[in-house]
Amino acid sequence: MTRRNGQSPELVIRHARVLDPSTRLDAVKDVRLSGGRVAEVGDDLQGARKLDADGLHLFPGFVDVHAHWRTPGREDEETIESGSASAAAGGFTGVVMMPNTDPVVDKPVVVSGLLRRIEQESRVRAYVSAALHVGLKGERLTEMRLLKEAGALCVSDDGLGTQSAGVLRNAMLYAQSAGLPVLLHCEDHTLATGVVHDGAAAALAGVPGSPASAEDVATATALVLAAETGAKTHITHISTGLSAALVRFFADRAYVTSDTTPHHLTLTDELVSTLEGMYRVNPPLRPLDDRDAVTDALRDGTLDFVATDHAPHASEEKDLPLEQAAPGFLGHETAFAALHTELVLTGKLSLARLVEAMSYAPGRWVGEGGSMAIGSPADLTLVDPSEEWAVDRGSLSSRSWNSPYLGRRLTGRVVGTIVGGELVHDRTGARFGVRA
Amino acid sequence: MRNRDFLTLEETTREELREILDLARDVADGRLSKSLAGKTVCLAFFESSTRTAASFELAARRCGADVISLSESGSAIAKGESLVDTVVTLDSLGADAIVLRHPAAGAARLAARHTGAAVVNAGDGCGQHPTQALLDLYALSQAFDGFEDLAGRRAVIVGDVLHSRVARSVIPALRRAGMEVAFSAPRTLLPLETDAWDLPVLPSVDAALEWGAEVLYMLRLQNERMTGGSPRIPSVAEYGAYYGVARRHLHRGVRVMHPGPVNRGVEISGDVVLDGASLIPNQVAAGVAIRSAVLTLATGVAHEVAA
Repeated sequence: MTRRNGQSPELVIRHARVLDPSTRLDAVKDVRLSGGRVAEVGDDLQGARKLDADGLHLFPGFVDVHAHWRTPGREDEETIESGSASAAAGGFTGVVMMPNTDPVVDKPVVVSGLLRRIEQESRVRAYVSAALHVGLKGERLTEMRLLKEAGALCVSDDGLGTQSAGVLRNAMLYAQSAGLPVLLHCEDHTLATGVVHDGAAAALAGVPGSPASAEDVATATALVLAAETGAKTHITHISTGLSAALVRFFADRAYVTSDTTPHHLTLTDELVSTLEGMYRVNPPLRPLDDRDAVTDALRDGTLDFVATDHAPHASEEKDLPLEQAAPGFLGHETAFAALHTELVLTGKLSLARLVEAMSYAPGRWVGEGGSMAIGSPADLTLVDPSEEWAVDRGSLSSRSWNSPYLGRRLTGRVVGTIVGGELVHDRTGARFGVRA
Repeated sequence: MRNRDFLTLEETTREELREILDLARDVADGRLSKSLAGKTVCLAFFESSTRTAASFELAARRCGADVISLSESGSAIAKGESLVDTVVTLDSLGADAIVLRHPAAGAARLAARHTGAAVVNAGDGCGQHPTQALLDLYALSQAFDGFEDLAGRRAVIVGDVLHSRVARSVIPALRRAGMEVAFSAPRTLLPLETDAWDLPVLPSVDAALEWGAEVLYMLRLQNERMTGGSPRIPSVAEYGAYYGVARRHLHRGVRVMHPGPVNRGVEISGDVVLDGASLIPNQVAAGVAIRSAVLTLATGVAHEVAA
């Protein structure tokens, strides 16, 4: 499933409600794509191929800065092909792959090998995050300059988090010299000794909890070091109100960006009472107060964008008691629908801010995509805002099915994903058909 | 007679630099023999040294001084005697000059407060190493067309600036000579405040050459001085790729310097050490003349000779 950037034929998408936060456009328009780029936005545009999009929303393609495609090493859970199909089904046109694979992405040859396979196998644009430390162990720095030359976008010890402030500071300084942003999973392992949030639900269920401080202490450390070193720092999956407040405090003191996840914006630790392994995730689902504070922080721009932390797991790793299950949720395919259903339709977040937080803001971080300005890459997402659908195993493109939304009905669905002018995910035919 | 300490080059004027270099040339040309006859020079080395200790001793002896040599092993220093007590002892023995090497910055300044002898700083921790910078200027002046010819030329100091006393003396020396100076090092080997000296930071030796460097001053990775939880660089391969000088860099007449000891294959490849572009032998050779001149000035003899 290769993409042929720049060679795709002309396509006119007609009568879509075009919502592009990067240009502040929100109107029913036609959009002409040519040569893999956005060529024209206007009325009554003509082109060789037409796609009628009456009643559909057209957004800049979503960009997911945090995903685990399990390749290399756990191709039974996800491959570049299936991960990118899953991303495309969720409207994502760009994805950053985390380095906690087997082998770890800590050598230039692993980066260049992955990029070659992405070129051949990925439906969407995919970027490689290399490790910050060899083996993610927080000991020896990776060869960040050689990793950058090999094509790495950023560096991260995601999944573990760097435990020593001194080690992290050294790595942030080095990453800055190497010209690579640092993506940080903030978790203090001396505090994070449980498997769920240490709250009332954990107490009642009798499941060992990790306190919110496990995230907050590490977030504070990271922010202080970002401010001191000036390193370009991204803090991923913020899940507590205090961590969001810390990010707000450091907004003009450090070169820092941050994200939160669809599940931390829509679910709470009430799910702990099910005792099902499915609902284990790291950072853990938090109480309602945290969820609301994180939502507020996303709304007011304190948190820059949404990233899914798409984390496929085989059923034998999830179909277990909470304490024994692997942490992590699928994210790509339900991200927009869950946030649209839970936040936009309930009036907690505007559609424009959601689209910005899924396209323009992460696109700027990646350096590509997230805009429909003329001349931009033709990376677009078509959404039917009224389609109701049930999340079930059969509806998922991922090789795994550990979605916390399984069995739920969501409103709003991605029906078309365009990368470089080509439809890489297409359910439009079911309704309209592509007419020559 | 007056004694004159040589603790740092931070305050040294251009005129003073020229005076020392001129005197060193006189020494090299044999016009200043036995200038230290009747003087006592004490070498107190609280930290190991090869080049510096040898050339100070040779300089003192060639100039006719009596030399007392204390090293970290086989002396009261090894028995734990404090810096101040050692200095007071040497003072009582009638030392005219004390040449001091010590692992802590500021040791030479402290010593100078406790003796009437001239204190010559032979390297204090990550602080200063003034005679190294002076011999570097001497070697550079010879490589170009004299001291005046250095003005306006560009030099880049490459590598472990953070732990380098050499850099802290070479920077003011080169600037006083009118040279433009920049660094090239990863931030893990630079002070947090990279603008402490208000110098540009270049990303590699290649970038240094693009910037117009005519002199590459290579520093050794001082692993023994590095503190903290994790190594400052990921690998020798990556360090060498960006901050090592190789034969391919030696076009357009760039000169390569290094205060020694060299880590061959890390900051400098073996064939560069032996290349004609390398001023490393010239630096070592300049050591005796410079240190003779410094000891002569320190003990006030040159003042008398000139007067």
